[in-house]
Amino acid sequence: MSKALPPGRFSRLVLKVNVFLLIALVLVGGFMGLVAYKQGWLVHQSPLHFVTPNALGINKGMPVKLHGFTIGQVSELKLASGGVDVQLSIVSEYLERIPQGSYARHARESGVIGTAVIDIVPGKSTLALAEGALINFEPARGVSEIIDDFRRQAVPAFNEIKQAMSQVARSGDDITKILAALRQEVEQLPATHRAVRELVQQTTKATVELNRQAGATLGATERAAATVEQAVPALSGKIATSLESIDAAATQLKKTGEEAQATLKSARPLLDQGETAAREAGDVLTAAKRVWPLSDSFKDSTDGMLPIDSFEAQGKGRGR
Amino acid sequence: MRRGFAPWLAAAALALATGCSTPAVNRGSPAQARLGDAEGRAAALARSGDYAGAARYYGEALRIATSLENAEAIAANAINLSIVNQWLGRDAQARAALAAVLDAPRVNFSERRKIQAELRRAILELAGGNLGAAAVWAGEAERRCAQTSCEYDSTLLNVRAQIELESGRPAEAARLAQAALERSRGEAGRAEAANALRILGRSRIAAGEPNAALEPLRAALDIDRELGDPRKILADLAELARASAAAGDADGAHRYQERSVAVSRAMSDAKSGAEMEVLLRR
Repeated sequence: MSKALPPGRFSRLVLKVNVFLLIALVLVGGFMGLVAYKQGWLVHQSPLHFVTPNALGINKGMPVKLHGFTIGQVSELKLASGGVDVQLSIVSEYLERIPQGSYARHARESGVIGTAVIDIVPGKSTLALAEGALINFEPARGVSEIIDDFRRQAVPAFNEIKQAMSQVARSGDDITKILAALRQEVEQLPATHRAVRELVQQTTKATVELNRQAGATLGATERAAATVEQAVPALSGKIATSLESIDAAATQLKKTGEEAQATLKSARPLLDQGETAAREAGDVLTAAKRVWPLSDSFKDSTDGMLPIDSFEAQGKGRGR
Repeated sequence: MRRGFAPWLAAAALALATGCSTPAVNRGSPAQARLGDAEGRAAALARSGDYAGAARYYGEALRIATSLENAEAIAANAINLSIVNQWLGRDAQARAALAAVLDAPRVNFSERRKIQAELRRAILELAGGNLGAAAVWAGEAERRCAQTSCEYDSTLLNVRAQIELESGRPAEAARLAQAALERSRGEAGRAEAANALRILGRSRIAAGEPNAALEPLRAALDIDRELGDPRKILADLAELARASAAAGDADGAHRYQERSVAVSRAMSDAKSGAEMEVLLRR
């Protein structure tokens, strides 16, 4: 009763099945290799661990970061004496970048919200942590703790603002007046600006005029110098002649001396007037010293000392 | 909206520019800055007549200067504190303030500061009626003053003249006051010149020469009016009233007393005013 199968349909069937199974096995193996590669199963991992009294928020597979860069993950959590022993698997090549004294802390990538991570805060030692080392752990602050902290810092500032606002409220009228006066002054600025520009223009004119006069004076000086230059040779010629007349001049000198004595007598009132003028100038200067804009410039240097006055010795009952 | 905002912007810019144009003051460390600030506030309060406030800030400046071991500032603030305390009638505190200079031999104060402190102590003792102590401190200051070119020679002579006058030696007081008058130089010496003239007048009254006292007292009054010190104007008028009364010029004495009362009332010096009113009723 056996029925013969058509020839060629199942030929080399075993081979075909084997090839199919092989391809499937390769695909599964490749997939598994890819997963292993992605999961870091093929990379050598070094363990670190810490103990926390409260492991709330810490999960297996949670990334472990150093400077924000993923260097491993939480591999295991075990209940231990004094809390939970959390095992970290760190990629071995990164272990040498974790110095001794480093500690772990529970953090979130974007502040209060965001993915929870274990952040490794590097220590200051130059030596790297050993494989399997126990590190310290700083638990995350809860929202209530953050709010409490904020409140503690903000309350004094709010109190000061409140105080300042109440002061402003008390002196509200004065501030309004000050602002009005300030506004008035600001409105007058264009006029002041115009006046300053006029002053600058006048000063420029005056400077030009001064320059012109200075030029003329310089010309006159040059002319005088030329005249002197011409006169010097003639003068030297006359010196010889003058020497001859010295004898005659000596006689004349005696006469001149007598005349000078008489001149001095007549000049005496003039000298007296000069003295008076000098005294008056002194008075004017003294008065100028007392004028407000100048007084500061003439103040005696008292190096911040109050006056030591003998009047204070006159006894009690003469207080200021 | 923009137009209304522009003036405010301009004002803010102007204020900012004004702030920028002010030269930065190099005040050194924060403690030195606090010292300068306290000294400045004390001087401003003393000028405005708030002597209690000035004493508080001079005390603070003295404390900071002591913490900085700044001998110059310690002495200056101690002397200033002594002066304002005396103005406030706190003679004990005024004397205690000077101890920071006089009772600190290990601190290297300058000769000028020592003279100032000794002179102030002499003035305080004389004001308290301690003539012996005043003479001792004035002598110390005078000895030191003679060794350096000091500017307090006329003040010292006036203090010594007052000691002599209070000790009942008007002739010697007059001689010293005359010497002080001759040594009072410049604008700064005008106050001491007026003091010397007043002491000269008082000495002549005490010597039984009231007529001769009038001239220096009038000269002192002229200077004191120019200097604008009401306490001294009041003292001059009181002495002029005494001299006129002693010289037998009752009308003149009455006029001076009236002027004294006016000045005294204006100074709100109730005590002196009451004294003068008693004199007027006689």
